[in-house]
Amino acid sequence: MGEHKTSGIFESIFDGLGGRDIYFWNFIILMVFTLFEVAAVFFETIPGTDIEITLYAVWAILIGVGIVKGYGIAAYFMHLKGDPRIYTRTALFPVLFVLLMLWGIGLSNPGAVQNLPDWCTPNWDFAVER
Amino acid sequence: MSGGEAHVENSIWMRAVLIGGVFLAIGILAFATMGVGVANVKHHDYEEAILEYEDAKYAYEDAKASNASDAEIATLKEAKEEAHHHEVEAHLSYLTWRTAGITILLMCITYAAFIGLGGFLNSIAPSGDDAHDNHGYGGDDHEHHGSGSPIIFALGIMLFLMGFPSFQSVLGNMLSGTDFALGDLGVSMLGLVVITAGVANWWREDLPFIGNGEQIATSAPFEGQHIRKAGLWVFIMSEVMVFATFFSSYLRMRTEWCTDWQVQAGNCAEVNMLTASDFLRPNGGTLDGLGGQGDFMTLLPGAINTFALIISSYTIVLALKTANSKDWTAPTGMMGKIMPDQKTAVRNYLIATFLLGSMFIVLKLIEWSHLVAEGFTIGTQAGSIFYISTGAHGLHVFIGLLVMLYLIFKADTVGYDEKNGQGIEYFGLYWHFVDLAWVVIFPAFYLY
Repeated sequence: MGEHKTSGIFESIFDGLGGRDIYFWNFIILMVFTLFEVAAVFFETIPGTDIEITLYAVWAILIGVGIVKGYGIAAYFMHLKGDPRIYTRTALFPVLFVLLMLWGIGLSNPGAVQNLPDWCTPNWDFAVER
Repeated sequence: MSGGEAHVENSIWMRAVLIGGVFLAIGILAFATMGVGVANVKHHDYEEAILEYEDAKYAYEDAKASNASDAEIATLKEAKEEAHHHEVEAHLSYLTWRTAGITILLMCITYAAFIGLGGFLNSIAPSGDDAHDNHGYGGDDHEHHGSGSPIIFALGIMLFLMGFPSFQSVLGNMLSGTDFALGDLGVSMLGLVVITAGVANWWREDLPFIGNGEQIATSAPFEGQHIRKAGLWVFIMSEVMVFATFFSSYLRMRTEWCTDWQVQAGNCAEVNMLTASDFLRPNGGTLDGLGGQGDFMTLLPGAINTFALIISSYTIVLALKTANSKDWTAPTGMMGKIMPDQKTAVRNYLIATFLLGSMFIVLKLIEWSHLVAEGFTIGTQAGSIFYISTGAHGLHVFIGLLVMLYLIFKADTVGYDEKNGQGIEYFGLYWHFVDLAWVVIFPAFYLY
């Protein structure tokens, strides 16, 4: 968090731009993307045009902006990019569980984990018969 | 500062007690002005708006019953709807001021109790070498001997949660004016006392810390890293799991509901569930006369809160950057007056973060009061997951604010520099995580 210098494309463009450091530009980008996120929901058409912002476009924008903002906060503000790799590995450790929960519970309506494919569920019949 | 630690007199803790008193005064003042003064004026407006609406409704019904002309009925209907709209606006305006006043009062009481009691306990604690030895951080020539405070704190949490069902029940009875037994508060109050003692001891151990004796991990996988930092990352990962649980539950329910989004996408015929976003965003779905009233103003508190969290993430970065700076120079102009020296600058950046976080809580509760008034209660599935998820996030923000109180106190007394700036850095990691969680919660619950 604001301790070490990092290197990369983003840094080569923004670090030092206008006499400001990478954290300032990360902050500005986060603000702009948030504005974009709110505007995508607020406007039905692209301002000044008749082009409709469809539900799927809004959905894609929300996910896309979320990823960009998440990366900006984790990589620069939380400084995962400049810190030793072990912190990134620690941060990624629960990802498997999170994905399992999102897939096994969140996206498995209506059966949840009971309706998962056969190849990843225990042999219940065998268990019951035994 | 002398040796490996800052010299901290017990009397310095009286400053924390004074800060507690200031918070109490601010809370009472805010409640008296916003929660009582302005809210009463707004309530009067609300009552007038109710009467106007009643009049407009009777006029419309009379006109229909007396077979008035279509044009007249249409005019009266329009007047009735306008009066209803005005009544709703007046109600929400009243709720805004009332909720803001009560929230600020309750927050300030908690701040005052937290920092005031912590400060008081430390100011009366025995001083001298014996007490000095109990500090968590040794000097240059001291071996680090850890701290028992987290265990005391955890014990307090356990006791509080054990007594929480009775605590919640007694509080509910107190608020509704029904009978209650004060003794039922015993276990949870004991828990709060132990928590306060644990926190006060923790502060006492940390305040003299000026960067010497930081524990370093000596084995894999964090070999060479600060143990506190590694521990904090592991803690954050456990928090990721907590929020992932909320989010997967929400997703599970959301895919089952027939929301306005699903109808518009052609996946089902009619809306059977309203989500918070139906009340907040423009053109939201409607069901049984509820929802669909969202506009710029309803989305505004959530949007402001999103910006507030991002700005607060940046101010905490600036606090750390200022603390770590070896060649810091005071800015010129107005900023120079706010931040005349490095120590003050660090403190003021932390205060800015604290104020933004406090604003987040106030706006969130105002928004909740509006949602409940509009019919989006915790009694529905959508309401349940919304209030639990955003409430859990708000609780994290509030806990962060309580921790920040101590950081501000330390910044104002011992101070932070490049040697002991880790305190801000580690807290910042937690604060950024709270911001990160909001990055997911805001679009998922407010916009989608």
